[in-house]
Amino acid sequence: MNNNKLSRAIDILYRLAGLITVVLLLALPLASEEMNGLGPLVFSGYFMHLAITAFYYAILASSWSLLAGYAGQFSFGHMAFMAVGGYTSGLIGKFMRFTTAPTELCTDIPLPGGWWLVILNARRVGTIDETCIDMAKTQTLAAGTLIVFPPVWLSIAMGLVMGAIFGLLVGWLVLRLRSTYLALFTIGFSEILRAAISAEIPITEGQSGLELVPLFPGGISLFGQTFNDTSKIPPYYAMLILFLLAMLLMTWLANSRFGLFIRAIREDEEAAAALGVNIVRYKVLVFVITSTLAAAAGALQAHYIGIITPNILIILQMSLVISMAVIGGLENIYAASVGALVITFALELLRTNINIGPLRIDMSLWRLVFFGLLLMLTLRFQRNGLLSPLLERLNRAGVAEETVSTRTPVARKEAPRS
Amino acid sequence: MAKLIVNDIYKNFGGLQVLKGVSFSIEGPELIGLIGPNGAGKTTLTNILVGALKPTSGTVYLNRERIDTRPAYGVAKVGLGRTFQVTRAFRRMTVLENLLVPAMALNMTARQRDFEEKAQEVLKFLTIAHLRNEYARALSGGQQKLLELGRLLMLDPDIIILDEPFAGVHPRLMEVIYRYITEVNAQNKAFIIISHDMDTIFTLSKRLLVLNYGDLIADSDPEVARKDPAVKAAYLGEDEE
Repeated sequence: MNNNKLSRAIDILYRLAGLITVVLLLALPLASEEMNGLGPLVFSGYFMHLAITAFYYAILASSWSLLAGYAGQFSFGHMAFMAVGGYTSGLIGKFMRFTTAPTELCTDIPLPGGWWLVILNARRVGTIDETCIDMAKTQTLAAGTLIVFPPVWLSIAMGLVMGAIFGLLVGWLVLRLRSTYLALFTIGFSEILRAAISAEIPITEGQSGLELVPLFPGGISLFGQTFNDTSKIPPYYAMLILFLLAMLLMTWLANSRFGLFIRAIREDEEAAAALGVNIVRYKVLVFVITSTLAAAAGALQAHYIGIITPNILIILQMSLVISMAVIGGLENIYAASVGALVITFALELLRTNINIGPLRIDMSLWRLVFFGLLLMLTLRFQRNGLLSPLLERLNRAGVAEETVSTRTPVARKEAPRS
Repeated sequence: MAKLIVNDIYKNFGGLQVLKGVSFSIEGPELIGLIGPNGAGKTTLTNILVGALKPTSGTVYLNRERIDTRPAYGVAKVGLGRTFQVTRAFRRMTVLENLLVPAMALNMTARQRDFEEKAQEVLKFLTIAHLRNEYARALSGGQQKLLELGRLLMLDPDIIILDEPFAGVHPRLMEVIYRYITEVNAQNKAFIIISHDMDTIFTLSKRLLVLNYGDLIADSDPEVARKDPAVKAAYLGEDEE
C-alpha cells in the first residue's frame, strides 16, 4: 500500500506546514516596531495594519469560498452580512446603555439584579446633539446612577447573532434560486442594505459613517506589556485568532458530512435529494454559517478601524473578495484565504510608482488594472485558481498509479468500457 | 419486505393531464417492467413515487408510511431509490465520495470511514473498484451508470426504480447491469425498470405495467400483456408478429 504511505506523508507535510504558519503568525508581532523589532527585522505599524486587513479579507474570501466553491451558491451578498455584523455592533454601542435606575426619558427595559437596559432615541440631524440619556443625566437620574456602555465583546456577539439571522432569512429566501438568479437576488439584498444605511442618517449616520469604540477601549496587557487602544498588536491577535478559528471550523465542516453533502448539492441537487440528503437544511445551514463568519469579521474590523460606512457595501468591495477567492482557488478554503492574504499585500506593494525614463506610471491608479488583468488571466487559463492546482496535485498524488495498479486482469476482462 | 401502495394518482401540468388515476401495488421483491410510448407518463410517475413531484391527487404509501407528502430525501430514507434517465454522478467528487453521500445521509451519526469497506465491496461487485479515488467526471458513460447503481446499494432501499438502465449500453456492460438486477433482487429488493428495450424487459421482468397517455392500461404477466389488444394497439403495435 505504497499509496497509503504517500498520502500519510503528505498529510504530515500539511500539518507541519500549517503548524509552522500558525507559529510564525503568532510570533510575528515580536518583530513589530512597537516591540522594537527582532534584530534587522522590523515590521512597521503600517505593515501590522496590512496584516490585520489581510486576515479580515482572508476570513471573508475563505467563507465565501465555502458558500460558492463548495456549496455552489454564488452569492454576491457576502459583504452585506459583513456589514450587518459591523453595523449591529456599532449601533448597539451607540444606542444601548446599562443603568442602575430607569431614565424615564428613553425606552427602559428592566433587567434582573436592579439593572436597566436603556435604548436611546435616534438623534435628529440639525438639532442640538443631545440624546435622551444626556437629558436624563441632568433631569431624571439621581447623582451616582451608573451608566455603563455595553461591552465590546457583547456588541460583537450580537453582530454575529444578527449575521446568523440574516443568513437564515436570505438562505431560506434563495432556496429555489440558482446561479444567475441567486446572484441577482443577493446583489439586490446588498444594495437595499446599502441604500437603507445611507438613508437612515439619524440612526446610521449615513455616508459620514458610524463611529465605533476601539476593540480594547481601555487598552490591554499582553505578555507583561501594556498596549493602548491605538496599538496594532491586540487587534492583530484578535483578527488572527478569529481567522484561525474560522479556518478550524471550516476545515472540520469541509471534511465532515456537511462538506460531503454541500458538494453533492453543488454537483446535482436533485440527485443528492434522491439519495437522502436534506438539501433544504444544508443549503440554509451553509448560508447561516458563512454569514456568521462574515459578520464576525465585519464587526471586528469595524471596531478596529473605528468607523464603518455604507461604502463597504459597494459592489467593488464584493468583487475584490470574489477575486481573491478566485485567484487563490475557489474550491479550496486554504487557497482562497492565501489568495486574500497575498493579494492584500500585493495591492499595497503595487502602489509604488514605476519610472521608465521620462515615463511615470502612477501605480496607485494602475494597480487595479493589473489586478483586473490577473483576474481575467486566471479565469481564462486557471479556472480553479493559481494555488489550488498545486494543492490538488499533492492531495491526489498516487491516485493515477493506484488506479492502474489495482486494476486486476479479471477486472479488465469484466470492466465494460462503453 | 417492501410494500408499496399507489392509489389513484393524478397529475396535471397546466391543462395537460399526464397521469389519470394510476393505481397499483407492490408486495415483496418483485421484478416489474414499466413501459409505454414517449409521453406516457413513466418519468412523471417515477418522480411522484420518489417525492420529486407532488401528485395533483392520490396517495402513495411505502411500508405503511405515506410518502407522497414527503420531500425527496425523506422518501429515500423510507426506502425508495432511483436512477436517472441521464446519469447524474457527482462529477467533481471521487467515486468513493459519490458512494459515501447516501451512506452518510442514511446514518447521521456514523463516520465516513465506517462505510469505506462496504463501498469497496460495492465497487468490486460493479467491477469499478480500481477507480475509487478518481473523479466521477473521469469515468466513461457506462462506468458512471454503474456508479449510480452503486450509490443505490449504499442507500439500501427496499424498492429500486431504474430509469432506462440499458439505454446506450454496450453488451458487456449490459451483463453487469443484468447481474446487478438479478443478484440485488435475490436480496429481497423490488425493482421497477423503465425501458424501451423490449427484449430485455420481457426476459427480465415477472410483471409488466403499461402506461399509455396517463392511463395504466395493463398490469399483468409480461406474456399476457404482450397479447393484450389494448397494449398491442398502444405500444407494441406493428412490432408484434
